[in-house]
Amino acid sequence: MRYAIVVDLDRCTGCDTCITACKYENSLPLGVRNTRVNVVGPTGTFPDIEQYWLPIACQQCENPGCIEACPTGASYRDEETGVVLINEEACIGCRACMQGCPYGVRTLNPDSGTVTKCSLCFQYHDEPNWKPVCVADCCTGARFFGDLDDPESDAAKAIAAAGDNVHYLPDPSNLKPSTAYILSPKIAAWQNDPVEVARDL
Amino acid sequence: MTRANLSRRTFVQGALLAGAAAAVGASMSGCMTESSSSSATIGAGDQRKKVEYDEIKKTCCHGCLGHCPVLAYLKDGVVVKLMGDPNGGESRGSICPKCLNQLQTMYSPRRILHPLRRAGERGENKWEIISWDEAIEEAATHIVDTIDKYGPYAFFGSTGGGGSYSSNQIKTTCVSLGSPNIFEPGAAQCLMPRVCATVFMVGDNQTQSVADSMSTEFFKVNDNASEVIVIWGAQPSVSQTAQSGRGMAELRANGVKTVVIDPNFSPDATKADVWLPIRPGTDTALMLCWFRYIFENKLYNKEFTKYWTNLPFLIDPDTKLPVLASELFPDFAQSTPDDTPAYVCFDLKTNALTPFEFSAPKDALVDPEVFWEGEVNGKTYRTAGKIYADEADPWTLEHTADICWLEADKIEAAIRLYTHADDDGTTGGICHGVATDQHPQSSEASIGAIGLDIIMGYINKPGASITKKGPASIPMKRTTQNAPQTMTKYGCCAIPGLSDAANQARMEKAAQEMPEIQKMVNQMYKDGLGTTAHKGLHTWFMVHIPSVLQAITTGEPYKPRLWFDVSGNKLAMLANASSWYDAISEIDYCICQYPMLTSFHVEAADLVFPTREWLEEPLTDHKHLNMVFLQNECTHIGETVSHSIPTAQILERCKEKWGGTLPGVPNAYVGEATEEAVKASCAKTFGAESWDDLQANIDTYVPKVTPEDKYYVYNQHEMIVDDGLPAGFGTESRKLEPYASLYLKLARTGYPYTYPEPQDPCDDYSPICTYVEPAESPLTDEEFPLVLTSGRVPYFHHGTMRHSAFARELFPTAEIRINPATAAEHGIAHMDWVKVSSRRGSISARAYLTEGVNPRCVWMERFWNPECFDESQPNKTAGWRECNVNVLTKSDAPFNPAIGTYTNRGFTVKIEKGEKPANIWTEAREFQPFMPTLQSEPVTKDVI
Repeated sequence: MRYAIVVDLDRCTGCDTCITACKYENSLPLGVRNTRVNVVGPTGTFPDIEQYWLPIACQQCENPGCIEACPTGASYRDEETGVVLINEEACIGCRACMQGCPYGVRTLNPDSGTVTKCSLCFQYHDEPNWKPVCVADCCTGARFFGDLDDPESDAAKAIAAAGDNVHYLPDPSNLKPSTAYILSPKIAAWQNDPVEVARDL
Repeated sequence: MTRANLSRRTFVQGALLAGAAAAVGASMSGCMTESSSSSATIGAGDQRKKVEYDEIKKTCCHGCLGHCPVLAYLKDGVVVKLMGDPNGGESRGSICPKCLNQLQTMYSPRRILHPLRRAGERGENKWEIISWDEAIEEAATHIVDTIDKYGPYAFFGSTGGGGSYSSNQIKTTCVSLGSPNIFEPGAAQCLMPRVCATVFMVGDNQTQSVADSMSTEFFKVNDNASEVIVIWGAQPSVSQTAQSGRGMAELRANGVKTVVIDPNFSPDATKADVWLPIRPGTDTALMLCWFRYIFENKLYNKEFTKYWTNLPFLIDPDTKLPVLASELFPDFAQSTPDDTPAYVCFDLKTNALTPFEFSAPKDALVDPEVFWEGEVNGKTYRTAGKIYADEADPWTLEHTADICWLEADKIEAAIRLYTHADDDGTTGGICHGVATDQHPQSSEASIGAIGLDIIMGYINKPGASITKKGPASIPMKRTTQNAPQTMTKYGCCAIPGLSDAANQARMEKAAQEMPEIQKMVNQMYKDGLGTTAHKGLHTWFMVHIPSVLQAITTGEPYKPRLWFDVSGNKLAMLANASSWYDAISEIDYCICQYPMLTSFHVEAADLVFPTREWLEEPLTDHKHLNMVFLQNECTHIGETVSHSIPTAQILERCKEKWGGTLPGVPNAYVGEATEEAVKASCAKTFGAESWDDLQANIDTYVPKVTPEDKYYVYNQHEMIVDDGLPAGFGTESRKLEPYASLYLKLARTGYPYTYPEPQDPCDDYSPICTYVEPAESPLTDEEFPLVLTSGRVPYFHHGTMRHSAFARELFPTAEIRINPATAAEHGIAHMDWVKVSSRRGSISARAYLTEGVNPRCVWMERFWNPECFDESQPNKTAGWRECNVNVLTKSDAPFNPAIGTYTNRGFTVKIEKGEKPANIWTEAREFQPFMPTLQSEPVTKDVI
């Protein structure tokens, strides 16, 4: 199984509901987020411009650099679902995993001294309607969740329906991120090396 | 690009380290099963816990006017989680940050849980907790003493800006006390200009706004007929993200075309088929251009315009009013009832001026020419259509592009989409937002936007902005204007659509039954501050804010002394905020009610009543499409009360002190005086026997559903009613009135509001869309060369949610969007602090550089109030001065003639590199003082 999220950037309007819902669900303190949503663009020159929002959380890589980098085995993959997880008991807060991840989706929680990241709300994986809160709450219906190996899952169906408009974050090291993005040229051209414009960096 | 504060995530470089690790991983794994085998040696694994709860309550968010149905998860009476209710008709289970962050505001250290009396000087933020009885007694004593000494007009009320739902309560408090002076920072600057125009032109108060839960036709789930939507000065994806934002996302996914007219590259603009980044304050010029192009290219709905609008009517050049058939044809005998006048048109069948009687189009005796001009008895007459075409004539695509800072071909592309010039679509509509309400051309813009939908025939049909919903919209008789409702019961206000004789009979009956009340209400209409000049304020029984301020500071024509505010931070909401701060010392006594303490309360309040947050307050009538939802009492802490209770209780106490009477209108107050009554009212709405019955059987009662086939009704104006004619519209002519002649009557006598006794006349208000260059114009202003406009971000509704730590983590401080070319001229980099100055004052904001704004414009989030007063601050301040865009905004003339609107948007500023103000937090961890602290408060019973 390969559980992952698919984000339809044609729909996403950058409202940050996913960030906020995640913070409450996972009791994250101020300054710690498991997902970020930044603007890519506008590209071009006013008024001939385009932009999209790019929500980035753990990409659920097939070959996760974080697991390889972790010296204690705290970062691991759940056998059944394929979800990359963190065993906080084993995490020593050394941040090696953060170096191993090129997507900047892991954060050291200063309150716990351990690293946190998106687990796809793994705490609900034993429920029949397991769905990360960011997917359930999304204000534009832009997020789809499910097992990519199951063609009947919401995520797999979204990818199938999007045809040529499916994209992945850059992957020069063959980590094979599973998180797919849908963006059609009528909204904006996908940037292979996106420049994220943020407030807080 | 390596600018330190323009983040560039270097995936390629960053991946080198990972690559080294992954290369090993890849060679040993190759498939996920092998790679995950290491997990077998790890002990407990990921230990994240589910949110624990023991109860789920169905409720409804009140973080904005979207009112999305949500589910509140409780543990031991504490709300621990909020999720969207998948049954939400428009939200479809979505929930936005404004709703989610109620988890913090509900338990915020800024909550007021008990009545507070000021203990120090104003501004010191020192308070004493007092009992409810003491607080009511103190408020009533001050009100009674003030009115006894200075008369009822010394009392004034205000609401708005805080997501208020107390508007009717403070208004009817004023009426009960005999004062006309009620204002709201929105109203003339938000929605009222559009409502006034819709009432006058369509006869109904359902406007083209989607941000106020109107125009819900667009969000119909099944058989949605929308084809093209023009989002004019609105941000549905930001204002009501989970409701209208979700709706827009669904529409776009279904292939609906959109045009977005907004100086800012808003989320909806990024998705638009055509984006027109208009120069702020020039919307009416663009509207006239649309009229011109549509007329010239015959793209309007000709049959509809001829027979369902007043554009073919001949207009008297002296009175500017439509000529009645009886005026030009003394022998003409009208066959329609007295409430349905016959007018005059130029008939193409006979090539002559001819009486034009109301009928179904198929029964019309004439073929009216919409654009006619000619001599009659030595005077040159034009039809309303010709007057409009002449007004629009200068506005060619090229001239408009020049004035509005747009591109002619894009304007043309937008009009052609809207009119289906190049496809066979038949429907569409304008979603008209608040932007033009915040500028002195507010009423002209509303007249223009509605007029465009009217000439296209996009009215009362599937996929149109202006449609009426529900079984009650099926007419039984000639449609009459359905507003104003509030004061008609006192024998004031004529009802357009009734005959003159019928209106007179109503007034005479009231004059017999309640002569003193009728006279008092009529007088209040006439005496409201600033309403003689701006009579459109009567639409909502409001007065003119700058005139109130002037009266406070000068005592002319009389001095308002006792202020009762029921919502939010007025120093954040009111234009030219410093001028209001300066007036606070002139206020004898200030009573407030709100769930939170804001910097306004710190600076101004003498007494503050604690009201409930939406997770605590039972309230109904929250609609999503054909369903009505309940805002439930999920929990309750402290001694807070529902919003209608403080004013109700205080009025009762005043009445006792005055020996059983009030100085104003008896029994005028609208709202419940106890929680028991609030709950009984909710139960009644849902048809439950009691509150307990409603709660026990909530899934049976909520939502209350109107079947779709009864809810979605169209073409009501065509339905034949008791006089054998189509019901038509609630206007004087029974037709749509794009030539809005009621504005002329309003200016001259106050009709239909100040009736039967007229108000003094003022200069005429325009009955059509016209253009006036903004008073502060970037075309001529050398000192302040940039034009500033503003809008919302998704984290806040008006002044609310500023004290949610998670909201502020994402949007910590004031922000000014600047084009990179302009910023470079001033040496300003992304996230640098900028000093922004207007003729009113200066503030600080952080620069957000973007190509999404014209190099000659800047954009700010509106109504910024940092609320950073705090004991932890070494240099304590109430915080409204430093970053508040309303320190810059313009509250002096010119105002909109009809409505009195001042200038929140589209004024000039200059920018320079600045410094971070000492008291402003920007880093996430600085917002720790806002983190919730009241979860351990006991759940309390109703206090009143």
